[in-house]
Amino acid sequence: MPPAIACTGLSKSYGPRQAVQPLELEVEPGTLLGFLGPNGAGKTSVIRILTTILTPDAGAFTVAGVPHDRPAEIRRRVGVLPESAGYAEGQTGEQVLTFFARLYGQSGTQASATARELLDLVGLAERARTLVAGYSRGMRQRLGIARALVNRPEVVFLDEPTLGLDPAGQRQVLQVIGGIARQRGSTVVLSTHLLAEVEEVCDRVVILNAGRVVADGGIDEVARVAAAPRQGRVRLPADSVAAGLRVLSASPEVARIARSEARDEIVVELREGLTPAEAGPRILRALLDADLPVLAVELDRGRLSDAFLTLTADT
Amino acid sequence: MTRLRVVAAQELRDLWLTGRGLPLILAYAVLLSVTSYLVASNRALNFLEQREAVGLTLQVGVGVAALLVLVVAADAISGERERGTLESLLLTPAPRWVLLAGKGLAAMSLWLVAYVVSVPYVWYLARGTGVLGRALVAGLGVGTLIVLFLCSLGLAISTVTGSNRVALSVSFFLLLAAFFPTQLPTAAQSGGVADVLLRVDPVTAGLHYLSELVVRGRPAGEDLGWLVGPIVLAVAAAAAACTVGARMSLRPGRRA
Repeated sequence: MPPAIACTGLSKSYGPRQAVQPLELEVEPGTLLGFLGPNGAGKTSVIRILTTILTPDAGAFTVAGVPHDRPAEIRRRVGVLPESAGYAEGQTGEQVLTFFARLYGQSGTQASATARELLDLVGLAERARTLVAGYSRGMRQRLGIARALVNRPEVVFLDEPTLGLDPAGQRQVLQVIGGIARQRGSTVVLSTHLLAEVEEVCDRVVILNAGRVVADGGIDEVARVAAAPRQGRVRLPADSVAAGLRVLSASPEVARIARSEARDEIVVELREGLTPAEAGPRILRALLDADLPVLAVELDRGRLSDAFLTLTADT
Repeated sequence: MTRLRVVAAQELRDLWLTGRGLPLILAYAVLLSVTSYLVASNRALNFLEQREAVGLTLQVGVGVAALLVLVVAADAISGERERGTLESLLLTPAPRWVLLAGKGLAAMSLWLVAYVVSVPYVWYLARGTGVLGRALVAGLGVGTLIVLFLCSLGLAISTVTGSNRVALSVSFFLLLAAFFPTQLPTAAQSGGVADVLLRVDPVTAGLHYLSELVVRGRPAGEDLGWLVGPIVLAVAAAAAACTVGARMSLRPGRRA
């Protein structure tokens, strides 16, 4: 099966400013990819190039196995929620989706059925015949996601889908996005500023900075690359804390220890480069080997926000 | 062709059900009522011959309808760009010239409705003159050529300009330039260069033909040479608009 997205040496400049540095990227089908980066990092430019709205200065790419020199075929196979998704205010949600489905070659009957199915998917079935002018921002974003799905796309690009939404709206949109990847099997590229969103729904993350990929991998993997030292807490019966301190101070996984204000708790700082998944079992084993009755070992998960801030610190 | 029909149908709905179509036609009808009243009054005072009244009303009708179509056409792409709705259209597999042509057809519908609205006025003014039939046929033909030319111009300008305001300003300026030769003094309208200018400009050539046919009662075939300019330029402008439309992009000047 060809990769959902593959690009080599992709670059784009606007005058003297290089928006996208030669970019190499390959995304497997079915991946939910978080596409992160500060403002002006080049996320939207990359998405516009991959969706054939912009022409790159150099490089080549395929989307859904279709080479870049067949833009109409790529457009047939992708769905996009653009950054600035405007709507004809005088149309109902159903009319918007029916119109777009017809532009993808569906008959009137098929297009109506597609519109109803998608409005149901994004939770707008009851507002199908309400004018878009009467939709809240969250409803418009969900309508935009539905519009991106009218052609049953193999690859879906969502550019800032939760921008400006309240927490409840964000939650609804994220549920829809998770559903797209799970139920429809589409590859999803989610461009966002909200790191918590990526941590919640994405399988893989790419961090872009000044038009260049600065991190690419699973969330834990990316977090480990650049994150701050991890902390954790070990709970023992109060009379075992002193012995616990001795064992942990000798443990190669632990960089620093401190006694917590709670009498039965020790705060540990992991050695740099270790993930909680690697260090947790080893620390537990060391404590159990010393016959200490361990009540709990809680290690903080690597935080994507730390990695993001570290990797994009120079902008 | 299905996509062209889909885009045109959508644009027609937008224009006539929720857009500016009805208010513009209402304003057109009011203006034509005032014009017809004035020319009818002048005719009663023998200031204006009856055929001249018909010709003048037709010319005003064509001119104002052309302005309305131009306004809608000039807003077609630049307006979508400003409202943030263009990108979604460009992301569909519909060829870009189809998007442009669909919008053009919707804009042209304003002319057809305006023409239908003008029929009763022309009928009233032309009673007993025997020019009603030829006035209506020539008005439709000449008006369609002039409006097609200006509509195509408006669409092309709308495609290549970055802002709606610029598109409307440039289009309006070109409309004034096209009508300018009709306002030249009679003396300035004679001579080789002036004759070429009048024949090449689709507006002046078309209105001249209309006037010869309706006011002077000349046979339809006798002045057909005056229609060469409007026909050639209308077809060329439509082709140019489709060519420019095929290169339509999110940001004018950037290749897509």
